[in-house]
Amino acid sequence: MLTSFSRAGLATPAIYLKCLFYFPQSLCRRTGLRMFSVSHKTAFVVDHCPYMAESCRQLIECDMLTKSRSQGVIPLAPVSKSLWTCAIECSMEYCRILFDVYPTWKLVNYIVSDSEVHILNSWKQEDQNTHELMAALAAVGPPNPRQDPECCSVLHGLVAAVESLCKITEYQHESRTTLMDTADRVANRGRIICLTNAKSDTHVRMLEDCVLETIQEQNKRAAGSDRLMPIQQCELVLVHIYPQGEETLVSDRQKKEVLSSMLSSEVHSVRAGRYLASKLNVLVQQHFDLASTTITNIPMKEEQHANTSANYDVELLHHRDAHMEFIKSGDLHMAGSTSRDSGLKETVTLKWCTPRTNSVELHYCTGAYRISPVDVNSRPSSCLTNFLLNGRSVLLEQPRKSGSKVISHMLSSHGGEIFLHVLNSTRSTLEDPPSISEGCGGRVTDYRITDFGEFMRENRLTPFPDSMIDAAGRTPVERAKSQLERYTRYWPMIISQTTIFNMQAVVPLANLIVKDTLTDEDVLTCQKTVYNLVDMERKSDPLPISTVGSRGKGPKRDEQYRIMWNELETLVKAHVGTSERHQRVLECISACRSKPPEEEERKKRGRKREDKEDKTEKNGKDTEEKGWTTDSERLKGVMEREKDEQSECEIIKDSPDSPEPLNKKPRLATEEQQPPEKSKGPVSLLTLWTNRITQANSRKHQEFAGRLSSVNNKAELYQHLKEENGMDVHENGKATR
Amino acid sequence: MPTAVLLDSSLSMTRPVSVEGSEEFQRKNLAVHGLTMLFEHMATNYRLEFTSLVSFSSLWEVLVPFTRDYNTLQEALNNLEDYDKTCLEAALQGVSNIVQQEWGTSCPCQVVLVTDGALGIGRGSLRHSLQTVKQRVEDKKFPLPFPFPSKLYVMCIANAEELQATDSMDNLEQLINLNGGEGQIYTMEGPLCLKSVQSMFGKLIDQAYSPFHAVLRCGNLTSDVQVFPRPEPVTIDEEVDPMPRTVQTEGDEIGTGATDDTEEETSTNQMAGKSPNFCVLLHGSLKVEGMVALVQLGPDWFGMLYSQADSKKKSNLMMSLFEPGSEPLPWLGRISQLGPASDAAENPYGEDDSKSPFPIQPKHKRSYAQNVTVWIKASGLQTDVQKILRNARKLPEKTQTFYKELNRLRKAALAFGFWELLKSMAELLERECTLLSDSAHPDAAFQLSHAAQQLKLASSGDSKYAAYEHNITPMLTDFSGGGGAHRI
Repeated sequence: MLTSFSRAGLATPAIYLKCLFYFPQSLCRRTGLRMFSVSHKTAFVVDHCPYMAESCRQLIECDMLTKSRSQGVIPLAPVSKSLWTCAIECSMEYCRILFDVYPTWKLVNYIVSDSEVHILNSWKQEDQNTHELMAALAAVGPPNPRQDPECCSVLHGLVAAVESLCKITEYQHESRTTLMDTADRVANRGRIICLTNAKSDTHVRMLEDCVLETIQEQNKRAAGSDRLMPIQQCELVLVHIYPQGEETLVSDRQKKEVLSSMLSSEVHSVRAGRYLASKLNVLVQQHFDLASTTITNIPMKEEQHANTSANYDVELLHHRDAHMEFIKSGDLHMAGSTSRDSGLKETVTLKWCTPRTNSVELHYCTGAYRISPVDVNSRPSSCLTNFLLNGRSVLLEQPRKSGSKVISHMLSSHGGEIFLHVLNSTRSTLEDPPSISEGCGGRVTDYRITDFGEFMRENRLTPFPDSMIDAAGRTPVERAKSQLERYTRYWPMIISQTTIFNMQAVVPLANLIVKDTLTDEDVLTCQKTVYNLVDMERKSDPLPISTVGSRGKGPKRDEQYRIMWNELETLVKAHVGTSERHQRVLECISACRSKPPEEEERKKRGRKREDKEDKTEKNGKDTEEKGWTTDSERLKGVMEREKDEQSECEIIKDSPDSPEPLNKKPRLATEEQQPPEKSKGPVSLLTLWTNRITQANSRKHQEFAGRLSSVNNKAELYQHLKEENGMDVHENGKATR
Repeated sequence: MPTAVLLDSSLSMTRPVSVEGSEEFQRKNLAVHGLTMLFEHMATNYRLEFTSLVSFSSLWEVLVPFTRDYNTLQEALNNLEDYDKTCLEAALQGVSNIVQQEWGTSCPCQVVLVTDGALGIGRGSLRHSLQTVKQRVEDKKFPLPFPFPSKLYVMCIANAEELQATDSMDNLEQLINLNGGEGQIYTMEGPLCLKSVQSMFGKLIDQAYSPFHAVLRCGNLTSDVQVFPRPEPVTIDEEVDPMPRTVQTEGDEIGTGATDDTEEETSTNQMAGKSPNFCVLLHGSLKVEGMVALVQLGPDWFGMLYSQADSKKKSNLMMSLFEPGSEPLPWLGRISQLGPASDAAENPYGEDDSKSPFPIQPKHKRSYAQNVTVWIKASGLQTDVQKILRNARKLPEKTQTFYKELNRLRKAALAFGFWELLKSMAELLERECTLLSDSAHPDAAFQLSHAAQQLKLASSGDSKYAAYEHNITPMLTDFSGGGGAHRI
């Protein structure tokens, strides 16, 4: 099979599309295909009337006496929670799970109702956490049993909840703003969960009617406002809480009853305490499309017996899509068992696989879903979550009837959040993809892999605060793209296509020239790089020119440098438009690079002498380096006064490192023409260096026409007269030399 | 995306079609001709696609299991046998089973049904199946919609008029509807001949098997690429954004989370294997550096490129698409806010590559990452009370932990309106005080009665003592010397 691919080779390289990865953030928004479904807004209305202060009549023994200490001590009476306490802690648990699984997009507005309404938070994202709610609840306190029951009612809260559902959320606002003309596509739906103690079915009916009326009223108001939206759909979930041991006065009506096109209602009649807790746990799963997974066989060391380990189970909640494969394949019942707490809900049991290594493996993962432990502060739960938060991963195995084992999920954390990853356990359509080397460009062996790695590291991304938009109004990602564009203006892909990128000496310039802005110091570094190259050329240092495709030794040294200079010019020219300072770098190259062949000839003649000189130079390297810095500092000053040719020359003449003044008179830069003195005798590196600087600086301004054609700084006047007489001025000038 | 070809091998497929002049064809021959064309196209453009061939009549049979070997498929086409009547439901169930067995239920699959439109009579006919579709029991459900994401293409070796003369067309349309509208019916135009069958399969190829060519772009470095399998459009929100998003053929590679930017463009430059290609360079560097490149596939749609190796040490460039959206990975934050690291005041990766700005931590910790208090189960409450008592017995060494746990309980009790617990806890502490042994540190007694008194005050609901953010601090005694008393 495979050989047929390798032989065929692909016309274009293929990128293999692994899968559409369902990342959890998007799932935060929606529980189906709608962002603004009923679950976008949840209003909790909790009854704070005096009867809620009643005990739930479930006793909790909190005085657990140890045997050794129990003698002669009368144990404390057990405590019991009030209906209010039960309602609060169960609703907080609902919120905790919700915020764990959906940190954004699913909003809760918490309302407490007695003789008045206490709205504990808003739809704002920043208000969506249990800590804020707990603090607000503490401020409200338990219901006052001595308050007049006549003036207290949960109705106030229900009215407030409807009003609140009409209020636009940040997300709705943002979507409406972006959609512009089609803003009406943004829907307004919501759910009211009312925890109360109702008196009778008639009472319940009255509450429902009241909600419906309020919706109709509020929708009229909302139609004329920008910050309000009419409610299109509202689900009312009434939870009637009654103490243990009492008969319920309200009948259970779990099936949704449609009261109008806008309102549906259901009634849950539940005993307080753990029954209420498991009811709300079921509700949060229903409301937010959650499912339960129980991790079984988690080995945990016992505190007392460190050598033994017992196996524990931990139940997690997450979006039900993580079970999609089970649901569709009908394996759900096989894999699942029922939760120990209630016979109502289902959980899928997956077996813990002890991680063998800590290596980062890329699994074929098709989705990741946030989790929330059901029993968050139980010891097994916190052991598991801490293990994961510390960066470990756990593979989970799906038990199958046939006895075969299949790894179907993985638990792992990212940035302090734990995700249940769904792994592909069936055959992949991407099995045996051909190697990239079989595709086009695959036979090329000298890609600049390391350089491109370096390039990628230089172009790595990092998050910037939301307000970070640069002067040009570009977002960080736009800046990243423009940086990529600049960095790749000249970027040969293979080693044999480039000379300059194979030269260590070019690195400083190559790194700087791609930048958006250059400082004077950067320009100086670039210039130094160029001078360094000039020096290399003078010394005839070999260049890493590719000899691929050419016979023998490849091009001659002179030709090599010509190629190198051309390439360097190409690189810098690609950036010349970026700024005036980039322009200066190009000018420096044009000024310094070797050009006319006749000059090369002259150089060759002087080469022998220079070779001898090399040795002396090496000896004096230390001083030379010192001289470099002083020179460069000086040069900086020079450049500020670029135009002032005279003073520049003086400075160079004053250089303490100059072995001997070469000229009596200040030398003026001459275009590429070496002063005749130069080839006569040994020249110090400094002289060479200063000559180059002088030359470079001379490029910064337009040279006087006279000086350009001068010979030994003597220009012939009135040349045009001769020209008119048909004589070639330049040759004439040379002839006079 | 794998393809299952479901070929009608009933006797009606052997009906001859009248062709003027030349040799006589059966409908079966036209079907084989069309499928040959499809297989040839796939062998050229979709070499990596898996295809299976199933023939059916009253029974069904896998002629070729899922394979990339198009020669085998072609061979099977050449050796078809003819059977009895058409019984589509069983065959569709069969296809559903073999796809699930091979690929599970999350892998999208195309089903190409080739039939003459004579859909059987009596029991087992499509008409009968559709009439009874609503009266099924759980384990005998109609196989559509398929449990996996699918497209059902019906290739009719018949023209539309012929099908409309009977209820065949209606039945086939109903079939597509049962599959959630995912699919299409193709009929032949004009006389039944090789030319019209070619044109019909040509349309199918254009619709479902056109290769996805694009340009991968990283600044000025580009490469023509083919994305395989073809990325399909995605609907983000049926309400707010009902138009399915398609992957733009211009992909921008943005930089590495390591990251880079990809553009994809419709142009196919044939390149020789020996000229350098950006994809190969990118792949090599991603592999060596262990990085991934971020790819932009459209407005607010991103994916990532990375090198993936199989067990045989062959690696290739792989792309994973994220769900469309501005913040597809929570731990990367908003993609639009990712900028060049060199713009940051300090290198976020550290000078020696020891750090990373990722993952971004969420603003609020999840419940399991903070010490939340849940007393839904009695054991939760008992554990918290015992924890306090255990520390109470080790005062003054455990002063810090004692007050920390005490304050945690106090906060929760206040929020839950559980004042009774505060009173009980106070009593328990007072009793601990009386049970202190003679050798106990004198500070223990002071701290216990101080803590008990504070709890009692809080349980009164007096706003001065019952404030949620207030913390009970250790009593400053001569023994405690105030050490560590302030940092709770």
